[in-house]
Amino acid sequence: MSDNIRMVAREESGMVTAKLVISHPNESGTRKDEQGNLVPANFVRTGTVTLNGSPLMDLQLGPSVSKDPFFQFRFAGKKGDSLKVSFTDSGNMVFAAESVVL
Amino acid sequence: MKRRQFLASGAVFAGFLLALPGNLMAEWVAGSFQQVPLTDAFRNALGTDDIVVTDKISITAPTVATDGAAVPVEIASELKGERLYLFVEKNPTPLVFTCTFHGSALPWFSLHIRMKESSTVHAVVWDGLRYHMSSVHVDVLSQAC
Repeated sequence: MSDNIRMVAREESGMVTAKLVISHPNESGTRKDEQGNLVPANFVRTGTVTLNGSPLMDLQLGPSVSKDPFFQFRFAGKKGDSLKVSFTDSGNMVFAAESVVL
Repeated sequence: MKRRQFLASGAVFAGFLLALPGNLMAEWVAGSFQQVPLTDAFRNALGTDDIVVTDKISITAPTVATDGAAVPVEIASELKGERLYLFVEKNPTPLVFTCTFHGSALPWFSLHIRMKESSTVHAVVWDGLRYHMSSVHVDVLSQAC
């Protein structure tokens, strides 16, 4: 399901900045549609990031994250490092992606 | 395949699926993300509301946000942070996210958040000994949540 995540990681003087966007409605569960009905909650809840197979970050996410979640994070790394991310939403759908540090 | 066999194989497969995510990924801690006032949200997420105010965590966010549906927030900690938390005081669910850093990760994070109304935004960092907090106020011109 990596079409749902776009990720870029770039190294500059030993520090890598990674940016990623998950295509996801991220419904908070408190929004109403045109008919005034509550739209059921459906949002990204957990995420893990690994660098060359070792854990780098664990995320816990709530309903206050925007639609199409956009995250940036930083770590000490180098060009060619392998970065993998995996996210799970409240419907247990898994979204994963991997990329190489540029 | 007989019905009994089918059920048995289904149960084995379901067990496998249940065991798998537990190993790969931490469970979502629902208790931290309840719709409660800020002080309760602190207690639920941190286990305490004993937090030291610091100027060593910087929060970069617009003073006035035109669209509450996507407010860019950047958090940078000068303190060596093991865990980072972001709270929006007046959101129905104050806790936005928590992040645990491992290995070479730097205590820095940036994301777009929803803000229901103008509110103070609090970033909390756990340095392994105590909780430290910095706060900024963001005025929101249009609602979202």
